[in-house]
Amino acid sequence: LGAGQSIQQTYDLTRYLEHQLRTLAGTYLNYLGPPFNEPDFNPPRLARAERVPSATVDLDLWRGLTDNARLAANYRAYSRLLCYLRVLDGQVGTAELRHRLAHFCASLQGLVLSIGGVMSSLGYPLPAGPAGPPAPPGMHAAPNDFLKKMDDFWLLKELQTWLWRSAKDFNRLKKKVPPAVVTLRLEARGF
Amino acid sequence: GLVQSCGHIIPESPVLPLGSNFTALCILNESCLDFGNIYANQIIWKIKNRVVPKEQYREINRTVSSVTFNDTSSLDSPLTCNILADGQIEQNIYGITVTVGLAPEKPKNLSCIVHQVSKLTYHMTCTWDPGRHTFLDTKFRLRYSWPEDIFPDCIPKNVNNSCTIHDVHFFVNTEIWVEAANALGKAESDPLVLDPVDIVKPLSPQNVSVTPAILPTVLQLTWENWISHTVIRLKFNIRYRVVGDTHWIEVPSEDTASERTSFSVQGLRPYTEYAFSIRCMKEDGVGYWSDWSEERTGITTED
Repeated sequence: LGAGQSIQQTYDLTRYLEHQLRTLAGTYLNYLGPPFNEPDFNPPRLARAERVPSATVDLDLWRGLTDNARLAANYRAYSRLLCYLRVLDGQVGTAELRHRLAHFCASLQGLVLSIGGVMSSLGYPLPAGPAGPPAPPGMHAAPNDFLKKMDDFWLLKELQTWLWRSAKDFNRLKKKVPPAVVTLRLEARGF
Repeated sequence: GLVQSCGHIIPESPVLPLGSNFTALCILNESCLDFGNIYANQIIWKIKNRVVPKEQYREINRTVSSVTFNDTSSLDSPLTCNILADGQIEQNIYGITVTVGLAPEKPKNLSCIVHQVSKLTYHMTCTWDPGRHTFLDTKFRLRYSWPEDIFPDCIPKNVNNSCTIHDVHFFVNTEIWVEAANALGKAESDPLVLDPVDIVKPLSPQNVSVTPAILPTVLQLTWENWISHTVIRLKFNIRYRVVGDTHWIEVPSEDTASERTSFSVQGLRPYTEYAFSIRCMKEDGVGYWSDWSEERTGITTED
C-alpha cells in the first residue's frame, strides 16, 4: 500500500473501532453495573489508573509533535492498551461479551499493525514497543472488586478518547500525504 | 494359545500414487521354515482372490519373495501372501491393505465475499476449485493471516470447496489461502490479499416505506441502512414498476450515488399504484450489490 492508502485505511479502522467501542463499552459498563453504567458517573482518576496510557494531553504540545513522534505515541499507547484489554477479555463472565471483547482486541491489534504500516510507508522506524514492558497482568491486581471495576472503567474511557483523537490525527495526516504519493526508497545498490 | 504368524509383508499399509510402480516383500519367519518345511519359492501372491501372475514374483532368498506391479491402477485390497504347504493346502501368511490415489492439486479460483448477516455481524465465505478427485481422504483448510498474526484455520464442514469465517476484521489487509493435504502430499492455493471491507455484500435496505407527496407525480421513499457508515458508505439502485406491469424502470444511478435514507421518485403517473425495490452497495463500487429489498407499493395522489 502507498502511504496515502495506508493512512486512509488506518483512519477508517480507527473510526470503525470508535464506533464498535461505543456499543461495546456501553454493554461492558452495564455488565459492571452501577455506578459505572450511570451516564453522569465521573470519578477522579486514581493513581492506579496511571498505568493506562492517559489520553489527556496538552493539545498544543500534541499538535507540535512531528508526525513521526505522534504516530509513535499512538503506536505505543495502543500496544499498552491492548495488553490491558486482553486481561479484561479473559475475565468477563458472559460468553457473548467475551466474544465481542476478543473480536475488538483482534481489531485493535490490526490498528497497531496499521499504524506500523503507516510509519513504514512514511519511512519512520517502529518504536521499540510501548515505553517499558507492560506490567504482567497479575502484578498490579486491584485489591478489591470495586477498584478492579474502576480500572476497567478508566481503561475503556481512555481508549475511547485515544480513538477519538487518533481519528483526527490520521485525518490530518491524510490531508498532508496525497493518495498518489509513492515513497521512493533509494536502494543503496552501488550508488 | 496365541498363534504366531509365519511372516509379514512390507510395506505394511501403503498409500500409493495412481499409475506408479510398486514392490512388496513377503518375509517368512525362520521359525516357520523349520516347522512347516515352507520356503519363499512356494509363495503365491493374491489380490483379493485373484492370483498375481508368477512373472511378477521374484525370490529374493529362502525366506523373502517380492512381487512388483508396474502400474498401481491394477492394484486392489487386500494384497495377500500365501503358501502352498505340504498336502497342497493353501495357507494365508499375511495381508495388507493397499490404498491408491493422487496427491492434491493446487486449489484454484479462490474468491471470498463478506455477507452482512445482521446489523453487527459479518461472515466471510470463501470458495475455491478443489482440483481433481484424489481417491484419498484429502483435508482442506482455509487459512488467513496478518503480517504478524495468523488466525485459527477455517475447516470446511462436509464440503471441500468452501468455508465460512465468522470473525471478520475490516480495514486490515488480510492474506487468505487454501491448503489441501493427503497422505501423498500437500498443495497451497495462490494467496488472496485483500481488505475484507472491499468484498462486502451488505444487507438490503430495510423497512422501506412509500408515501404520497403533494405533487400527484411524486412518491417519497424512505428506508433504513443496516450497515454502519463507519464500515462502508453506500450508493443505491432504485427500481419501480406500475403494479400489474412486469417492466421495471430504474432511477438513474447517478441520482442515488451517495449515502441516503430517502428519495423522491418523480415523473410518475397520477393516481397510479407503483411497486418499489431498492438495493445498495459500497459507494465506490468496490464489493457486491445487496439483494433487492422487499417490494413496497404506494399510490400517487389524484391530479
